[in-house]
Amino acid sequence: MGANIYKNKKPLVFFLLPAFLFMIIYLYYPFFRNILNSFMKIRQLGTAAKGFNEPWFSNYVKMVTDKNMHTALLNTLIMMLVTLMFQVGTAIVLAVLVDNIGRGSRFFRTVYFFPIVISATALGLLFNLIFLYDKGMINQLLEKLGADGLTDWKAKGIALVTMMFPVVWQYVGFYFVILITGLNNIPEDLYEVASIDGATRWQRVRFITLPLLRNVICTCAVLGVTGALKVFDLPWVMFPKGMPLNSTWLTGTYMYYQTMEAKDVDYGSAIAVAIVVLGIITSKVVNKVFKEADY
Amino acid sequence: MKKRVLSALFCSVIGVSMIAGSAVTALAEGVELDVVTTFAGEDSNAKNYQEGIAAYEENSGNTVNDNSATSDETFKTTVVSDFEMDAEPDVLFFFTGADANSFIEAGKVISIEDIRAEYPDYASNMDDAKLPVSLVDGKAYAVPTNGYWEAMFVNTRVLEAAGVEIPGDDYTWEQFLADGAKIKEAGYTPVAAALGNIPHYWWEYSIFNNQTDLAVHTDIEAAAADPSAWIAGMEDVKEMYEAGMFPENTLSATDDETFQLFTQDKAAFLLDGSWKVGGIAGACQSDPEDPSTLDTEELDKYDVTVVPSKGNARKATDLIGGFSMGYYITAKAWEDPEKREAAVDFVNQMTSDDMIVKFAQHSANPLKEAPEADTSGMNGLQEKAIAFGARVTSYTGAAQDNFQGECRVPTFDGMPSIVTGEVSAEDAVAEGFEIYAEITAE
Repeated sequence: MGANIYKNKKPLVFFLLPAFLFMIIYLYYPFFRNILNSFMKIRQLGTAAKGFNEPWFSNYVKMVTDKNMHTALLNTLIMMLVTLMFQVGTAIVLAVLVDNIGRGSRFFRTVYFFPIVISATALGLLFNLIFLYDKGMINQLLEKLGADGLTDWKAKGIALVTMMFPVVWQYVGFYFVILITGLNNIPEDLYEVASIDGATRWQRVRFITLPLLRNVICTCAVLGVTGALKVFDLPWVMFPKGMPLNSTWLTGTYMYYQTMEAKDVDYGSAIAVAIVVLGIITSKVVNKVFKEADY
Repeated sequence: MKKRVLSALFCSVIGVSMIAGSAVTALAEGVELDVVTTFAGEDSNAKNYQEGIAAYEENSGNTVNDNSATSDETFKTTVVSDFEMDAEPDVLFFFTGADANSFIEAGKVISIEDIRAEYPDYASNMDDAKLPVSLVDGKAYAVPTNGYWEAMFVNTRVLEAAGVEIPGDDYTWEQFLADGAKIKEAGYTPVAAALGNIPHYWWEYSIFNNQTDLAVHTDIEAAAADPSAWIAGMEDVKEMYEAGMFPENTLSATDDETFQLFTQDKAAFLLDGSWKVGGIAGACQSDPEDPSTLDTEELDKYDVTVVPSKGNARKATDLIGGFSMGYYITAKAWEDPEKREAAVDFVNQMTSDDMIVKFAQHSANPLKEAPEADTSGMNGLQEKAIAFGARVTSYTGAAQDNFQGECRVPTFDGMPSIVTGEVSAEDAVAEGFEIYAEITAE
């Protein structure tokens, strides 16, 4: 009798059903509806579609020729690379350094993790003040150091760097915590044996820490690259409407702009579909490149 | 036995509660009106509106379910989708331009003419010539409370430092460019504007300035047929940009940043709407929420004046302005015999002479016979704005209200590309009209 309780799986279905229905209503239905919308004429949010576009795939043709979409795709790819190199890279360096100091490691863990808990919108406003043209923190500092004139940190040539710096800075702590957890799982004995054999500190990192951290680094890389596709709030707060001169578009900000500002809802839907396709392709490629090793 | 007593008791309790319930229903008088407006949040009339509702409820015995929200794109979308889903309110205070087209086309609001056929006194205190008409059928649907104007605010401290006079009523474009050069030479920014963020005001006036007939300014079809005024307007903004009239970072700055240049005595002119009077006063208060903390000496440095004229049909005192919002009565309320009269009474009370004077403050009002404005509680800039209003020779609606959504993109968001020469004014204007033609053909 008692064993039958565990064999009967029907109650499990009952408990899974609410979540399943929730996902159907709020994720899968809107997703498929969005694909359909990308073929239709919708001129304002909240209004019904006025039939299909002519030809029905015209939004996808437009996307191929749209210069801003090209900029958005290119910037998103740059964002992925920057994420890999600087977010994950900086996190590895910091994690190894903190792991090697005896005292104060807890303090540094908190310090590096802290930006994660601040909302991206608040950070965007904060960095707006830091990079402000007139009396911004950096320009004031440069003025004190004797610089002539003010620097426009949001001007076309430098805007992308100004945008990516806070995004990278914000998420370093996230990967740092994941890597620190990975470092804690490496047995202390290995380091002791290596020390007895005369290995230097760098050699211990190079031949013990990094190889044993490989799988964790791979996970961070996958999370970082796929996360770069979704970056939206901080860039939008700092550089709304792809300012300046359409040079800072990302796929997420461009989709939002087309839907909410330009009111081209069907084109916004088509961009959303492109983002999903790009996300699937990227995660497949990244999973292949950063394949976890079996030990 | 015990069970019988209990069931008898239970039945009597239910019976008594039903009688009591129906008595309560019978006692409740009046109807419930669902009302949506933009008088919420930081709107300067939010308090006046709440007082108006309280007075209406007291006088009529009706109840108002107020769902007002701050006016932004989300608000517009919510209103439009509520109409789509038959969940519209009974009374709505909303825009009268292209934003209202969808629910007017669907016949979901009642025209003033139709309401007057049954209630001849409806909005009878209004000057009918000032009632905004729909782009769909040319009929008036909304009863406005207060108007707006767009004009040039000046920082007199900067003008004084640069040796420039406050522009007079005959201010010309050439004088403006010459003053700009003088101000720049003195180390100040002539015009506070963020072309990459809010080019709206200069977009509007630059086109308005080049019209040869002011009456066609809001006629988009006419402009599409002959876009010369629009192209010349975009070229004028480019000329200003090339002359260094705007802040160095005008393409990457936000509107807040450039407004700060104006309030910190670094820029001389600011082209903006009558609503900015409150924003400027707020910048002179140590607590922006508390008008009693106003630094009157600081506020005295501001004035409001005309926008330079290019000598075409427009005089410097001809302004962009008018009435772009008003109270609509929806078909849903009109067709409900209980709500029809309540809705008409509500709009009549909220647009009475007293209420209009209260709401209009320093901006224009739509009344036939406007009583003298009570300036006792007004600050110095509001008083200057009222005095300035008396100098205005005409108000013309904004063309951008009829040219919305995607068609604006090439010249609004594309303004930085136009002024830097990446895209020609001609191409940008043509692209906007192409999209407009596509949308109107649907």
